[in-house]
Amino acid sequence: MGLIQREIERRGIATIGVSIVREYTEKVRPPRTVFLRWPFGHPLGEPGNREQQRAVLYEAFRTLYQTELPGTIVDLPFRWRREQYRDYCPPENSELE
Amino acid sequence: MSIARLKNRLIARLITRFPRLAERFVAAYRPWESEGEIPWVRPTKSLRQAKLALVTTSGIHHMDQQPFDMQDSDGDPSYRELDGGTLFADFRITHDYYDHGDARKDPNIIFPLDRVQELVDEGVIGGLAETHYSFMGHIDGRHIATLVERTANEVAARLKRDKVDVVLLTPA
Repeated sequence: MGLIQREIERRGIATIGVSIVREYTEKVRPPRTVFLRWPFGHPLGEPGNREQQRAVLYEAFRTLYQTELPGTIVDLPFRWRREQYRDYCPPENSELE
Repeated sequence: MSIARLKNRLIARLITRFPRLAERFVAAYRPWESEGEIPWVRPTKSLRQAKLALVTTSGIHHMDQQPFDMQDSDGDPSYRELDGGTLFADFRITHDYYDHGDARKDPNIIFPLDRVQELVDEGVIGGLAETHYSFMGHIDGRHIATLVERTANEVAARLKRDKVDVVLLTPA
């Protein structure tokens, strides 16, 4: 996935990737990534968990707009099946520009 | 279905269920190492003005499209165009290297189309591209060059032509 991401960014479009295998991402070196230590097949979390999926998306977009260093991998603090997302606080609009 | 494919699917189910096994599987595979400068641009528009496209390597595609080639152990570097308006009404997943049981129940966990549409409706994201793209992950050997030089490049050019401002990529 990181190889595709690099080609899109090379074309001048800003990209953000979600990774579930940090080791691969470190080698491929895409522009920016959020990492989750979650099982294969579940980059956005568990089926039907809308709040969880939204939290991952918001953190991905925050990383897209706030990261300044090429190759950054942000380890998201969400633990598999141990988080409550009801209290999650999405970024302000000013963080997404 | 061939024995090789059944074996791949069994492994996929095991490593999805038991993360310890996944760690060994990951350690055994040597991914491509990129050298040189990392491509880098800043988003040109704020998210609430930006047009977003999704790109995935989860192997999801429309029912009537040709499935990805699962016979080739180096994978399939081709891609499928996805229509965001109709995909979830009628989709399938061709990818033997992860267990897609949960993704079939809720494809948003690999391709968060409903979620980004909600964010567009709420004014958080400016808009969505009409066309998104799907690849199959697990590309290896001779197909890596095809992916980088041809198919990823083609998709990048199409996204540019469609005036997409930001791209979110999801694996599986």
